[in-house]
Amino acid sequence: MTFPAKYPQLNEMELTDDAHDVLIRLLRVAFPHPDFPDGPYERTATRILNEARESTWFRVALTQGILTLGQLAGGDFRNLDDDAATSVLRRIEATAFFGFIRRTTVLNLYDDPEVWEVLGYEGPSFDKGGYINRGFNDLDWLPEPRIELYDGEPLPDIAPNAVLASTGKSPTGGQQTDTSNQPGSQETVMRKVSK
Amino acid sequence: MKIDQNEEAVVIVGSGAGGGTLAYELTKKGIPVVVLEAGPYLRNEDYVNNEWEAFNQMAWLDPRTTSGSWRITTDFPNLPTWIVKAVGGTTTHWSGATPRFKEHEFKARSTYGRVEGANLLDWPITKEDLDPYYERAEIAMGSTHTHGRKPLPANNNYKVFANGAERIGYKHYATGPYATNAEEYDGRPASIQDGFNFQGDKNKSKWSTLVREIPRAEDTGLLDLRSDCQVVQITHDASGRADSVLYLDDEGNLHRQAAKLVAVAGNSIETPRLLLMSATAMFPDGLANSSGQVGRNYMRHTTGSVFSRFDKPVRMYRGETMAGVIADESIHNPDRGFVGGYYLETISLGPAFLASFADPGAWGADFAEIMNAYLNTAGLWVIGEDMPQESNRITLNSAVTDKNGLPVPNVNFDDHANDVAMRDHGYQQAEKLYNSVGAVGSHRAPPYPSTHNLGTSRMSARPEDGVVDQWGRTHDIPNLFVSDGSVFTTGAAANPTLTIVALAIRQAEYIADQLKTGGI
Ligand SMILES: Cc1cc2nc3c(=O)[nH]c(=O)nc-3n(C[C@H](O)[C@H](O)[C@H](O)COP(=O)(O)OP(=O)(O)OC[C@H]3O[C@@H](n4cnc5c(N)ncnc54)[C@H](O)[C@@H]3O)c2cc1C
Repeated sequence: MTFPAKYPQLNEMELTDDAHDVLIRLLRVAFPHPDFPDGPYERTATRILNEARESTWFRVALTQGILTLGQLAGGDFRNLDDDAATSVLRRIEATAFFGFIRRTTVLNLYDDPEVWEVLGYEGPSFDKGGYINRGFNDLDWLPEPRIELYDGEPLPDIAPNAVLASTGKSPTGGQQTDTSNQPGSQETVMRKVSK
Repeated sequence: MKIDQNEEAVVIVGSGAGGGTLAYELTKKGIPVVVLEAGPYLRNEDYVNNEWEAFNQMAWLDPRTTSGSWRITTDFPNLPTWIVKAVGGTTTHWSGATPRFKEHEFKARSTYGRVEGANLLDWPITKEDLDPYYERAEIAMGSTHTHGRKPLPANNNYKVFANGAERIGYKHYATGPYATNAEEYDGRPASIQDGFNFQGDKNKSKWSTLVREIPRAEDTGLLDLRSDCQVVQITHDASGRADSVLYLDDEGNLHRQAAKLVAVAGNSIETPRLLLMSATAMFPDGLANSSGQVGRNYMRHTTGSVFSRFDKPVRMYRGETMAGVIADESIHNPDRGFVGGYYLETISLGPAFLASFADPGAWGADFAEIMNAYLNTAGLWVIGEDMPQESNRITLNSAVTDKNGLPVPNVNFDDHANDVAMRDHGYQQAEKLYNSVGAVGSHRAPPYPSTHNLGTSRMSARPEDGVVDQWGRTHDIPNLFVSDGSVFTTGAAANPTLTIVALAIRQAEYIADQLKTGGI
C-alpha cells in the first residue's frame, strides 16, 4: 500500500477514539436495533477504521465524511437526537463515505454471533448434528402439511383457455391464428451481427 | 491417470453439472478424459458453516462488469452471478430442486407466439427425446418424489409455505423434487437438516458432481482432473478443427493440451467468454459464432423473493435451505398477463445474507425491521421463465482485465416486460399465500446475483439461428461441443440443473458413438 507522503495528516488520520465514537453513533442511527448490545457496533466501527487504513480512498472519504457530519450537525453529531441524526444521514446517503460504511456494516454487523443471538439465529450447526433432532420441524402453530405430491387431478401444462400460436387453437377450441410477422417457430431472421 | 499433454485427448472445460456429468459418462464408457477446472479441489470437509466465509471460499470472484437496466448494475456491479469456481462447479452451491421441463417449454415460439422484443425459438429436441435421460438424471441425482425416493420431511419454513398454499387454493405443493437424500441412497447419508446446503453441504446428502460423478470417474482410472487450471483459449488447425486448449495453472504458467475433441462447460458466462477469446483470422467473431449468437440470449430466470413476518417463531434457517415446491403457477396461462409460468420454492437465508440481499442499499428503520423479525420470518423464491433477448448479452470488456491480463466478461441485461409482469404476479401470490396464514408484514426482495445462467450458446435446428445443434455440437466446428446450460434455447420455468445433467448424459452417448464410428 502506498500512502500519499505529501499529506502526512491523511496518513496519520486523526480518526482515533473520537472518530470511533462518532461512527458508533452513526451505526446506531442508521441500523437501529435497540436490542443489540454495544459489542457488535463497536466491532463494526473498528472494522471500518481498519479497512480505511488499508485504502487511501476510503481514508480520504472517511476523514471528509466525519468532518461533514459535524458541519451538518452544527457541532457534534453525537449530540443530535435520533430524528435529527437520521435527517443528517439522509442528506449524505449518496456519498462515497456513507456507501462505504453501509456496505461494510451490512457485511459485518449481521455476521456477528452476538447479533445472531439477539435475532434468534443459531449459527454453525453441522458440528451439533444439524437440526434433525434439534427442532427443524418444531413449528406448532400450523397444522402438519402434506409433503407428498398431490394425488388428485394432474396439473395441466397449459391453461384450458390458452390459444396456441402454432395451431391458433386453444385446448378448448377457440380460434385465433398467428398472423404476426415475427419469424416462424423454427427460424429467426437476424440482422447481421458485427462484433 | 496422467494423460500426456501432446496426446490428442478428449478435453472437458469445467467440472460442474455439465462437465462433471460428461466426464463420468465418457470414462464409464472407457474413454479417457482430461478435465480442466479453473477452481481448487475443495472437499466436503473443507466447507464452513458461515455464509460469507463459505462464499469467499467457493464463489467465482474474478472481476466481471455489468451494464443494462437490471438492478445488479447498481447493487453488485462486479458480481453479476452467484456461481462457483471449484471442482464440482455450482452443483456444490446449489440447493437441489429438480423439476423437469414441460413439453411445450421446448416449443416456446410455437406455443407463446410472437412476443415483441423476445428472441424466442423452438428447441431442436422435444420432451420425448429427453424423457429417458431425465429418468437417468433423476436416478443419478436421487431426486425425491421420483423413482421411489422418499420425500424430504416438512421443515419449519415449509410448514408455513404449504399451509399458505393450501389456504389460497393451490394443490400442487410438496417438499420436492429435490436432489437431497431424505434417506440413505447411493452410498450417501440422509440429510441432517443442518441448514448449510448453499455452503457446500458437509454431510454429502446433497447431490453434486463433487460427491458422485467426479469420484466415480476417478475410480475408472481414466480421468485426468487438473484443478486450478483455467482454459484461456481453444486453438484450431488450418482446416478449422479444434486441436488444443491453452490453459493457465495456479501460478500463471501457460500450458497446452492437445485435443481431438473439446467440450466446453464453464457455465453461461465463461463459456461464451472462452469462445470469444478464441477468435482468430479464420473465426474473427470468436469460435462457433457464424450465427452471431455466441454470448446472446443470456437468460437468468425471472426471480424474486418474499420474506414475510409472523407474530410467532418460524426459524426458517433450521433444516434444508430449500425443500418446498409449488407448481400451480408453472403452467402457461396468458390470462395472467404474461407467457410462460413460474414455481414458488422455499428459501432460507441467514442474517448475513438476508442483510445483504433483502434490499441492497437500504438502511434505517424499515431495514432494521426486516432484520429484527428474523426469528419470525418465512421465505420463498419465485422462479420462472424469462424471455431470451438478443441484447442480453455477454461480451468481452477489453478495457478491464483480470489478474492474468485477460479481458473480463461484461454482462448486459434488461428485464423484458414479460419478466416484470411475471415477477409482480409472483410477488402478489406469495404475499397472498403468507397473508392467509397470518403474516403481519412482507418484504419483496429483488433478484440475487444470477444463480441460473443460461442461453449464451443456444441450440438451434438451423446454423443461422444458434450456436450448437441438438447434441450440443457446434454448427461450425465438428469437434467442438458445449455441455452446460449455455445451450438452452429457452429457459422454461423449471430450475435448470436436471436438464443440464440429462442433456450431458445424452451428449455423452452421442460423443462415444461418434468417436467409435469416426464421426468426429
Ligand atoms: C445458491 C444456488 C442455488 C441453486 N439452486 C439450484 C436448484 O435448486 N436447482 C437447480 O436446478 N439449479 C440450482 N442452481 C443452479 C445450478 O447450480 C447451475 O445451474 C449448474 O451448476 C450449472 O451447471 P454448469 O455445468 O453450467 O456450470 P457450473 O456447475 O457452474 O460449472 C462450471 C465450472 O466450470 C469452471 N470453469 C469456468 N470457466 C472455466 C475455464 N475457462 N477453464 C476451466 N474451468 C472453468 C468453473 O470453475 C466451474 O467449476 C443453484 C445455484 C446457486 C448458486
